[in-house]
Amino acid sequence: MIAGALDTKSRLAAILFSIAAAVVLGGLVVGLTGANPVSVYLEIAKGAVLGRGLDETLARSVPLVGMALAAAIALRAGLVNLGGDGQMLIGGLAAALVALYLPVPGAARAVLALAAAICAGGLYAWLAAILQLNLGIPFLIASLLFSYIARGLTSYLVRYPLRDPATGMPETYRVASGARLPAHIFDLPVSMAMVIMVVVAVVVVVNDRSGVNGFEWRMTGLNARFAQYSGVDLSRQTQRVAFLSGAMAGLVGALLILGQQYRFTDGALLAPGYTWSGLMAAVLAMASPIATIVTSVFFAALQVGGFSMERALGLPAVLTWVLQALIILCLAARPILFRKR
Amino acid sequence: MTLLEMKGITKRFDGVIANDGISLSVNRGEIHALMGENGAGKSTLMNILYGLLKPDAGEILVDGKAMDFTSPLGAIAAGIGMVHQTFRQFPNLTVWENLVFQNEPRQGPFVSADAARDFVRRLGSRHGLEIDPDSLVRDLAVGIRQRLEILKALSREARILILDEPTAVLTPQERDGLFSAMRELAGKGMALILVTHKIPEVIAITDKITVMRDGRVSGTLVTRGTNEAEIIRAMVGRNVPPTVASRVTSDARPMLSVKDLSVRKGAVTVVDDVSFDVRPGEIVGIAGVSGNGQPQLISAVMGLEPATGVVSIDGQDISRLPIARRRSAGISYVPEDRHLTGTAPAASIAENIVFGTHRNAAASSKGFLRKDAIRAQARKLIERFRVKAASEQLPIGSLSGGNMQKVVIAREVEHGSPLIIVEEPTRGVDVGAIEFIHQTLIAERDKGRAILVVSSDLTELLALSDRILVMFEGRINASLTGSDMNEDTVGRWMMGGAENR
Ligand SMILES: Nc1ncnc2c1ncn2[C@@H]1O[C@H](COP(=O)(O)OP(=O)(O)OP(=O)(O)O)[C@@H](O)[C@H]1O
Ligand SMILES: [Mg+2]
Repeated sequence: MIAGALDTKSRLAAILFSIAAAVVLGGLVVGLTGANPVSVYLEIAKGAVLGRGLDETLARSVPLVGMALAAAIALRAGLVNLGGDGQMLIGGLAAALVALYLPVPGAARAVLALAAAICAGGLYAWLAAILQLNLGIPFLIASLLFSYIARGLTSYLVRYPLRDPATGMPETYRVASGARLPAHIFDLPVSMAMVIMVVVAVVVVVNDRSGVNGFEWRMTGLNARFAQYSGVDLSRQTQRVAFLSGAMAGLVGALLILGQQYRFTDGALLAPGYTWSGLMAAVLAMASPIATIVTSVFFAALQVGGFSMERALGLPAVLTWVLQALIILCLAARPILFRKR
Repeated sequence: MTLLEMKGITKRFDGVIANDGISLSVNRGEIHALMGENGAGKSTLMNILYGLLKPDAGEILVDGKAMDFTSPLGAIAAGIGMVHQTFRQFPNLTVWENLVFQNEPRQGPFVSADAARDFVRRLGSRHGLEIDPDSLVRDLAVGIRQRLEILKALSREARILILDEPTAVLTPQERDGLFSAMRELAGKGMALILVTHKIPEVIAITDKITVMRDGRVSGTLVTRGTNEAEIIRAMVGRNVPPTVASRVTSDARPMLSVKDLSVRKGAVTVVDDVSFDVRPGEIVGIAGVSGNGQPQLISAVMGLEPATGVVSIDGQDISRLPIARRRSAGISYVPEDRHLTGTAPAASIAENIVFGTHRNAAASSKGFLRKDAIRAQARKLIERFRVKAASEQLPIGSLSGGNMQKVVIAREVEHGSPLIIVEEPTRGVDVGAIEFIHQTLIAERDKGRAILVVSSDLTELLALSDRILVMFEGRINASLTGSDMNEDTVGRWMMGGAENR
């Protein structure tokens, strides 16, 4: 894939180059519409960090970092997980069910809901891995197709058996306030979801840099045959990595339900496109977890800035998605543009 | 009549000068050897000539005209062809499809298969390199695949042909075939550059020798006026006496015991009812013309190939275990293909060395890697095995071919397993390093390890082995010891055995 044999320095250079080139190209596009690219970029930057922008960027970073790490964990080990949507839905649904119906006290319910989401998302991805291992259906395809099944299933459930008839929407009842994740801890502008994501991200980074497991996953991603010769049980590892990648997506679903939306509304989890932004961030970071965190926070800021730019200038915020895509295209084109010989 | 001239070629990789003002000139009709220790810069120089790398300084003249290649396409247009050590072919396509690729004879918008077949036949007979245009490349023997590679270069009207370690993978017969083809091409006025580590070949076939050391030219010799010792001195700056191992016999309990092992591929039995033992304190060599089941035998012993029969280590039956468990039961393994299975080229040297033992206490504790210890161990092995590497943090893929091989050997020997299985221990390794690897294996034997060596190089097997098993058509048809271990006898058994006596 793109994550070739680049050392840290040239990887950083590649990322920065791609961003710079995309900014120039995006500027040209903006210029063609008659708007002033400089003021557009200025609005995006201001919107992302000034005033409430910073809070919004941080809030959006939580699911984006999560989905990006879910993609990166798999990518690092040589698996492409395109099923983040499905795993996030199943995780979110599991969290909602536990939070709504499990008869235990509030805080315990929240903890169990998180655990259920992690297991459900993980198992859902694990199933796709089993299809690859036993039936030879590539994980990339199976995980993607499973997303459609999850969409159909959750959509049906919240429309019929789990529906809150009081609202006109296809959605579940609201999670009781005791089972929610607090939006502020000690009145700080820090949510519980944020704290959880920081802890998880640290674990992922440490495991990648120094963990024995992280080392095995990375070497497998670089050369699976060599890993097999060196004693890695590829089948077991594929199952594990798939599970953890899905678990991460499931956790994101739970954090969104318990910390932000408080109920499972059909389509609400997928609307912001976290899975795909996350995947792009992971690809841009060439699956290195630290770089993935940086790129996904950057994408979150870009998106928040885009909305604010839309309000200020009336240009569509979708421009930021164009920028994201341009960045990835520039990254892919870089080896052709700069053949180092 | 100079056909090719390279002047003052310099190429730096970060930190390393791979080529430092190299000059090389080759005449029409000349076979020119390029020799030098591992990492001397031979492949770098040839990749520059073929347009794969851009030199930092220096110029290339073909027929007196200055060239500036930006890609191999430029080099090909200038009449330069290259036979790479690793073939660049489409294994699932036929010979003619491979040969005319990007140069297809057309009939309207379609590729004309008949014209292409005809083209292949004519090309082959013109150069005395006949080949069946309709065979699938993946079914061809290595020697024929190489012939295809040469034909591909010739089909683009090459006048200068580079061969990077072409004989490393060939049987003696295939090698002789290659040499007569090379002579024929030289006779037609082509210039050939042969990169190799094998001195007898150089003496047998070349006209001139350029020896490189540490990125510089350390000697230009005329083959007729030189000898083996002089070449070696130019290469390594000292004399290298060949290892002569004293042979031993061991009667210890077998460490590896193989009984009635068979491997079937469809209707063909590629390994046929093979039984043998390897005891602690001995080196057993497996000889055989390639294609007689040697790699399949080793794959079956390692658990990479479904097989019937029993394999046991130190009395423990491992026939049903996956490779990982077999290795932990006590096998170190140096696979034949180091890029594909022996290393992860993009990972660092240190990571490649520790991988496989990274769960041991020396390399990790409580699930975390001990990075300093891992790097220290890597530095120690780099020094002890004289690997030419600027740092243990570099990707192993940036090492020269021979140095990569040394790292793999170092890792497996350092494993400490009671049984070491080595395929092609010195493929692509320079003379000095060959002696070093041989001495290392013999020292491990003397420490009481059981060692199984598979090699297509008979000289190597004769130098190393205490016992030689000869494989022919999937069977072991001879087990030779003592005075029977000579080139003649082993060679006869390799060709089928008894009836030739
Ligand atoms: N892409 C690269 N990046 C960094 N260093 C490199 C690269 N390619 C080659 N080198 C270094 O340049 C030196 C010369 O390498 P080269 O492959 O030309 O040696 P060689 O003479 O072909 O050796 P061998 O006989 O082992 O094949 C080595 O020290 C090698 O590590
Ligand atoms: Mg080389």
